[in-house]
Amino acid sequence: MTDLFYNLVLGFGVAFSPWNILLCLIGALVGTLVGVLPGLGPLATIAMLLPITFGLPPVGALIMLAGIYYGAQYGGSTTSILVNIPGEASSVVTTLDGHQMARQGRAGPALAIAAIGSFFAGCVATVVVAALAAPLTSVALLFGPAEYFSLMVLGLVFAVVLARGSVLKAVAMVVMGLLMSMVGSDIETGASRMAFDVTELSDGIGFVLVAMGVFGFAEIMRNLEHESARSIVHAKLTGLMPTWADLKASSGAIMRGTGLGSILGILPGGGAVIAAFAAYTFEKKVSKEPSRFGHGAIEGVAAPESANNAAAQTSFIPLLTLGIPPNAVMALMVGAMMIHGIVPGPQVMTKQPELFWGMIASMWLGNLMLVIINLPMVGVWVRLLRVPYRMLFPAIIIFCAIGVYSINNSAFDVVMTALFGVIGYWLVKHDFEPAPMLLGFVLGPLMEENLRRAMLIARGDPSTFVTRPISGGLIALAVLLLALAVLPVFRSKRNEVFVE
Amino acid sequence: MSGVDASPVTPQGGLKISNPRDFYGGLGLVLLGLLALWASRDLPGMQGFSFGPGTAPRMFAFLLIALGVAVLAVGYFTEGAALERYEISAPALINLAYIFAVSARTTAIWMVAAALLVGGIILAVVGLMGPRRNLVRGPLFITLSIIVFAVTIRPLGLVLASYLSIVAAAAATPEARWIEVIIWSAVLTAFCALLFVFALNLPFQLWPTNLSWQTLLSFH
Repeated sequence: MTDLFYNLVLGFGVAFSPWNILLCLIGALVGTLVGVLPGLGPLATIAMLLPITFGLPPVGALIMLAGIYYGAQYGGSTTSILVNIPGEASSVVTTLDGHQMARQGRAGPALAIAAIGSFFAGCVATVVVAALAAPLTSVALLFGPAEYFSLMVLGLVFAVVLARGSVLKAVAMVVMGLLMSMVGSDIETGASRMAFDVTELSDGIGFVLVAMGVFGFAEIMRNLEHESARSIVHAKLTGLMPTWADLKASSGAIMRGTGLGSILGILPGGGAVIAAFAAYTFEKKVSKEPSRFGHGAIEGVAAPESANNAAAQTSFIPLLTLGIPPNAVMALMVGAMMIHGIVPGPQVMTKQPELFWGMIASMWLGNLMLVIINLPMVGVWVRLLRVPYRMLFPAIIIFCAIGVYSINNSAFDVVMTALFGVIGYWLVKHDFEPAPMLLGFVLGPLMEENLRRAMLIARGDPSTFVTRPISGGLIALAVLLLALAVLPVFRSKRNEVFVE
Repeated sequence: MSGVDASPVTPQGGLKISNPRDFYGGLGLVLLGLLALWASRDLPGMQGFSFGPGTAPRMFAFLLIALGVAVLAVGYFTEGAALERYEISAPALINLAYIFAVSARTTAIWMVAAALLVGGIILAVVGLMGPRRNLVRGPLFITLSIIVFAVTIRPLGLVLASYLSIVAAAAATPEARWIEVIIWSAVLTAFCALLFVFALNLPFQLWPTNLSWQTLLSFH
């Protein structure tokens, strides 16, 4: 306990330097600014803004990225409420009641409760992360290659189960991601693999290129198909502050959402999405008048917003302790860390405590920033939403192009991003979810390395993954989950959840 | 979505695919898997207990082919939503042309790149004049915009490259208003220059240096 306290003090000491506060502030501001733009979820936002952190020291860069992440997520909620366009899967549920509230002229309280709920969830989740980080790191030290491999399998299975649509297609996407991650030189022998003698491919395909192409450019191509008909709420935003009745009604929802979110976020494979759905469903179940949901119930905004924020934060736990990104956003954070020369994993906490705890403290700081800066600025975001799409999308494209170019000063990378845009567009047209592919792509090298080591240690006997107790348990859990997802009973339940 | 309750293929129309999204989607994955197999054909496989560089790629390529076949089968045997139309052949060819041109070491590959480029341009022009021009437009001009940026950033510098690229991007929607585009592109270009070069201090060349056709045409 004293350790926890001491560590948090260390972290806040780092995060509260004026410079880092400023970075966090800028991050949250820019993150919201971009996240508010239609069709840009946190993933595309972070990918796009990654280059602006290049010039910073690692701690500052990560703090700024955390700010961008929370900002982008909050931006997503803002568009859900005001325009009925969820920035990403985890704010889909927010549209249900949030947009209804906005239509009733209560956009202000909806936005405010989303921010307050997120802040509360952020505070709790920060403590959860801090408390669990140390014990989980010691668990990580028990893990050998076989266990790591099995854990990643489990993570990918989670991603598959939580993806929308067909389980089979989600598995195919994971495998496609894994396969793409193997382009480039082999870790052990250095042999060039599937690079087609293209020099630029010999280091592999950059993660940012895939993310930006599939989530940024493809999304723009899709948006351009439709006439720009967006139902922006034109009602004036009077009275931002929620009433006492609102606060009282949502306090329970915020707590329940936070609890659910914190637990579900630790699970690998897209915790924030399932947390938001679960919190909404749960809230509907415990409500005295479930019929109000879908017609502007404030609990219907408070619960999922708290839950997805709590989950977004606790999903840092697997990343920071085990070095395994549990979802695509975290995968991007890994990419960012790598660029700054930090390899995420249990060693970060022991070797670079100020970075580790500084980042955890900055999560809390990022949430605080959201409440302080975003609520007064809601008017600005609304005005931004009124900018016509024909003016917005060229801006997004050029920022992405410059951003990609600045990573390696490589024109080739820029064109690869365009290619991935076309591929992503094709995938969406054929109902393939790109998120599992991205996760597979990021986990690929780690998985292959651990698979190869485990096989070598077991002298080529693949049963090692099942016979070692921890590894076997993880695999069993993965198989069970996959079986459940395919079973007709759960399958219909699952479809129901995603249809809603 | 493709449900489990497999209903028989509609007999009418011979090879009518009842669930084209899954069918052609699966087919695409199979082709990708085959490409990966072909690309990793020379890599050594298992060496005793240890994996060779080719083991994992082949493993996952076979897995992808198997999954692709499964998706394809689902597409063949179930009813599903009609395919939403899309036109990506021209941008795909142009992208590939660039990649081939960059990696070209032999004349043969140069020829392939040129052929791809010509094919892409023909498809693009035909598509833009055809009835589905609005479907062609988006992906095509976005791709062109990005390629314009990639090709011009080195020789022309950030300002001109951005400007050209933004104008090309703006053409991706039929809603474009040209006077607005010209002004807005200038504003955005100025903003990019200020943000990336002055505020973020990224090492970009702002204006063209020793411009000649040679620098413009050399990809490296």
